Amino acid sequence: MKHNEYKQLLQLSLFGELKSEEQLKLKEHLLTCEECRTELEDQKNLLELISGKKKAEVDEKVLTAARYQLRGALRSEIANKNIFGSTIDSIAQFFITPLKFAVVSATMLLFGILVGSLLFSKSSGEELATQNENENRFASLSEEISISNLRFIDSDASDGEVEFTFQASRPVRLRGKVNDPQIQSVLTYAMLNEQNPGSRLNSINAMDTEFPTQYDQDVKEALVTVVMSDKNPGVRREALKLMSKFPYDESIKQALLYVITNDTVSGLRIEALNSIIAAGSRGYKLNNEELNLFRQQMQDDENPYIKLRSKSILQEYN
Amino acid sequence: MQLTDTDLIIQAQKGDQSAFEELVYRYDRNVLSITMRYAFNEDDAKDLYQEVFIRVYRGLKNFRFQSEFSTWLFRITTNVCLTYKSSSKEHLRVSINNYGDDENEFATQEELTYKGSSPEEISSGSDLGEIVNAAVESLSPKQRMTFVLKHYEGYKIREIAEMLNCKEGTVKKYLFDAIRNLRKKLSPVYA
Repeated sequence: MKHNEYKQLLQLSLFGELKSEEQLKLKEHLLTCEECRTELEDQKNLLELISGKKKAEVDEKVLTAARYQLRGALRSEIANKNIFGSTIDSIAQFFITPLKFAVVSATMLLFGILVGSLLFSKSSGEELATQNENENRFASLSEEISISNLRFIDSDASDGEVEFTFQASRPVRLRGKVNDPQIQSVLTYAMLNEQNPGSRLNSINAMDTEFPTQYDQDVKEALVTVVMSDKNPGVRREALKLMSKFPYDESIKQALLYVITNDTVSGLRIEALNSIIAAGSRGYKLNNEELNLFRQQMQDDENPYIKLRSKSILQEYN
Repeated sequence: MQLTDTDLIIQAQKGDQSAFEELVYRYDRNVLSITMRYAFNEDDAKDLYQEVFIRVYRGLKNFRFQSEFSTWLFRITTNVCLTYKSSSKEHLRVSINNYGDDENEFATQEELTYKGSSPEEISSGSDLGEIVNAAVESLSPKQRMTFVLKHYEGYKIREIAEMLNCKEGTVKKYLFDAIRNLRKKLSPVYA
C-alpha cells in the first residue's frame, strides 16, 4: 500500500470507517512511519478543536419555535391549495372562456379572422351578455381581449392546417352585494394572488362592510393565510381587522399566535395579542404549549408592552 | 401499539394531518440538528427546517415506498441545505449554482472572507468559536454538508452517499477535501 493511501486510512480511521483488517494494517504502518504519526496527531487535534464547538442537543426552545412556524406554514399551504382550487373553479365557471383553446384552422393567414369570428365574435359576446343580463350581475366592459402564451402544436401549414394553444383574457366588470358568494370568491382570490399590494388591500377592504354579511368559509381561510404570510404589513393589518369579525375559532387563534410570535411589526403583534386577550375573557383558553410561547415572548420580544401583557397573561393562568 | 412510518404515511396520504404531524415529530429533531449545524444561524436553520417539511408535505402523496421514509427525508434535507442561500448578511456566500457538480469544488476567495479571521486574530485566539464556525462555513456546500453529516451527526459514509445520491467514493473525496481545507484554515489555532 502506498504512503498516500495510508493517509486516507488515517482520516477514515478517525471517523470510525475502517474495517478491522484495514485498522490493523494502519496500526502496523504507524509503528514505522513518523510522518503518519504526526499526521494522525494533527488531525486528532483538528477534530478535537471542531468537536469542542458542537452543541450536544437541539435546543428545545428552538425546536418548539420551528414546529410552531411549520404548523403556520402548513396551514397556509393547505388554505392556499383549497382556496386556489375552488376559486379558480368558481371564476372559470362564471367569467372565463376556456383558457386553453385547441384551434384547428385553415392557415396561419386566417389566424386573426378565425380568432375574431369563431372565438371572440359578437355572438359569443352576446351569449355572455345574455347570461349576465339574466343574472343582473355583470357586463363585459369591452371586446378587448388579450392573447398570450401562444404555443404551436403544429405550425406546418403545408397541409393547409395549423394547430396551437393560447390564453385569452378580457376585462370583466362585476357588481353585486358583498354577501354574494361570487363576489367573495373573486375578492378572496385577489387578496391571495394579486401582485399589487394595493389591490390586495382593496379586496380586503371591499369585504369589510357594516352591513350584516354572511362570509364564506374560504374568506376566513384566506384571511388567516394573508395574516400569516402577506409581505405587506398594511395588507396584513387589514386582514387582521377583518378577521376579527369572524367567530373566534382554532384557526383564528393559531393565526393570532403566529402573528404574536413571528410578525416583525410590533403594532400587529399588539393587535393580535389584544385579540387573544379579548377571546380569553370570553372563555377561550390557551393550552400549555401556547402559554410557553408567551413565556418566550415575555423574554424575547423587544416591545415592552408585549412583554408586560405576556407576563400578565401568564399570571392569570397561574 | 405505535404506528409504523408506513402506517402514518398512508394515513397522511389520505389527508390525515395528525398522522403527518406525528411523522414530522419522529424526525424533525434530526432535521433541525442538521440544518442548525449547516446554517450556523438559528433563523436560517428554522427556515431550512420549514422548507424541508413543506417539500415533504407536497411530495408525500407521490411517495411510493421505494426507499425508507427517513432516507427520502434526509435526501430532501441535504438538497434543501445545498441549494440554500442565507438571508444573513454577516457572511458572504455564492449561490450553489456557481459550483456545479465538480467534486473538487472549493469555496471562492470571497466566501472565505470572514470578519475578524485574519491570521493575526486567529493566532491571538480571539473568539475561537466564531473562527471554527467560519472555517466550516467556508467549505463548499457539498464539503460542508458531508462534514456536518459525518462529524457532527455521526452518519456512516454509506448513509451519506444515499442522502446525497452519490457514490461512497465521492463522499470520501468531499470529506478529505473538507479536512484539508479546514486544516489550512485552522492550523494557526491548533498547530
